[in-house]
Amino acid sequence: MKIKYFVITIAILLAVSAVFGAAAFALNLYTGPIIAAKNAGAANDRLNAVMPGGSAYEDITATLSDVPASVVKVNKETNGLGYVIEAQATSQYTGSTPMDIVIGVDATGKICGIELAGHSESLIFGADYPSTYIGKDSALADVGLYAGSTFSSTAFKNAVTEAMGVLISNNLIAAGVKSDAQILEELIPTVAPGYTKLSDATASGNIQKALKAENDTGFAYIMTEGDASYLALVNATGVCKIYDVEANDVTDAHEALVTEAKAHATANQKSYTDAFITKVERMMEGATEITSIELDTFNTVVDAVSLKVGDATYYAFYSRSIGFHQMDVYIIIDETGAIAKVDAKAFIFEKEYFMAFGGMNDAEYKAGFVGITSDTFTGEEAVIATATMTSNAMKQSVEDAFASFNSIMGGEQ
Amino acid sequence: MKKTKTSYLLRGTPSILLVLGAGFVMASSKDIRAAIGMGVAVLLSMLLSSIVVSAIHKIIPNYAKLPVYVLIITGFVTLISMLMQAFVPEVVDMLGVHLAALAVSAVVYRDAEEVADHNGEVKSIEVALVTGVFFTVIMVVCSLIREVLGNATIWGKEIAFLQDYKISGLVSAFGGYLVLAIVLAVINKVTGLHHHDEKEDN
Repeated sequence: MKIKYFVITIAILLAVSAVFGAAAFALNLYTGPIIAAKNAGAANDRLNAVMPGGSAYEDITATLSDVPASVVKVNKETNGLGYVIEAQATSQYTGSTPMDIVIGVDATGKICGIELAGHSESLIFGADYPSTYIGKDSALADVGLYAGSTFSSTAFKNAVTEAMGVLISNNLIAAGVKSDAQILEELIPTVAPGYTKLSDATASGNIQKALKAENDTGFAYIMTEGDASYLALVNATGVCKIYDVEANDVTDAHEALVTEAKAHATANQKSYTDAFITKVERMMEGATEITSIELDTFNTVVDAVSLKVGDATYYAFYSRSIGFHQMDVYIIIDETGAIAKVDAKAFIFEKEYFMAFGGMNDAEYKAGFVGITSDTFTGEEAVIATATMTSNAMKQSVEDAFASFNSIMGGEQ
Repeated sequence: MKKTKTSYLLRGTPSILLVLGAGFVMASSKDIRAAIGMGVAVLLSMLLSSIVVSAIHKIIPNYAKLPVYVLIITGFVTLISMLMQAFVPEVVDMLGVHLAALAVSAVVYRDAEEVADHNGEVKSIEVALVTGVFFTVIMVVCSLIREVLGNATIWGKEIAFLQDYKISGLVSAFGGYLVLAIVLAVINKVTGLHHHDEKEDN
């Protein structure tokens, strides 16, 4: 009897299953194509958003050469409207979650749409920053970095540049032509790595464009003499260098430009010397013969002095690197090139800001640098657990102090 | 309170039978679009299941009713899901696993087993329609409260002047149960259902 119940139940279940299976099959013939079309449309929505008029795309990534890691996918609009590149960028803020950037480039090589998808950095940028790229060719003329979010916007700009570079190197679009002024401006991070957060200053005379480093490390000027353009840099200690568009140091050949650039910088440069000397006197008891030194380095060091304690000579450097906020780092190096003392104002602020740093011992941290030379410094000495940006800033300051010291001593920077 | 046909039918509304429908209301009433989607899915699955069950219940042996009814409900929920996937995929995304869970939900099974199995097609359709519509209405009322006050949006669109006053807790599971409890209390007060039950118990 039980077998009969079992067989009947199974038979009914099979019959019901067959009916619904057939119904599902028939319904799928109708809904399947609709669902597939909507899924394809949803994928294209992301691409269409940056490619006006775009409809269908072909993934051509595998056919391209020299694709950098930041370029995830290159899609060709099948009607010839252009290309949509899906790229990723990482900065100190992004951590393990990179920025997803979708860039539309039209057939003439100009950016026709750009979006930063689903990342908290969009809050830092504001919604308007990516749109400043629209209409630009690969030269990205007049596209700046976002004030207050330099690391993120630099990573963003680099990713866009690399994405455009893939199209250019594969002969899919023509490269944009950069003006001399743009070439010179883009030279600044290379020849003056300490200049951070450049902002416009008042230009005059041969100065076509004046830029001031927000950390007071100096000024950069785009200057003209005759038909040629030059980049003039004046650091915080008043030393000037002139570069041509090929990045050659042509300072000696342009004395008039040097004089004009120095005059502008002198009139506008904030001086930290008095406060710095007071700080040095506090750090090195019995300091005498404190003398300002001109530096020919263009890093984060804004002031330098030599001093004597007894018979020993020391060199003190004031570095204004950027951590989570502006850092003020003081490094004193003895004449053998070993660090004698380190201090940094910002630690107090950081500790108050991040409660997690309650366990950090300022004195021990600073003492950890003593005795280190440029040859023995590894960067590990600067690490503060869970404070990557502050650690990087400290590392930068120490490296820059060593570079400035070596420059004073006539050695390698 | 006088025993009315409406109050009788209301008692059968899944979301009023807390243990059966509360989970669905809680999970699917954060957004009015999801609430309507779930309400329609419940209504259709109840209606279609009731029609089929009431038509074949006499030829299904008692020992086979449970698996057969569950299979019928599952079949209809699957078909409804396929249609929703094709025409309102964004609602399916909002409902997530709760739409699939409807296939094995006691909400629909209770209707099939208690009503359709003991009545003809007309009565089954009437009960399924009324309970399905009331379920949807309660879902919509709860979602209106939760979406507007908890999320400061309606139909996914921001309500600008409410942005600074939203009560985020209302879109949490706790908020869902709280809103449902308030709605049920109002329904009980208006219809006298709870009062009626007490008198019946006595």
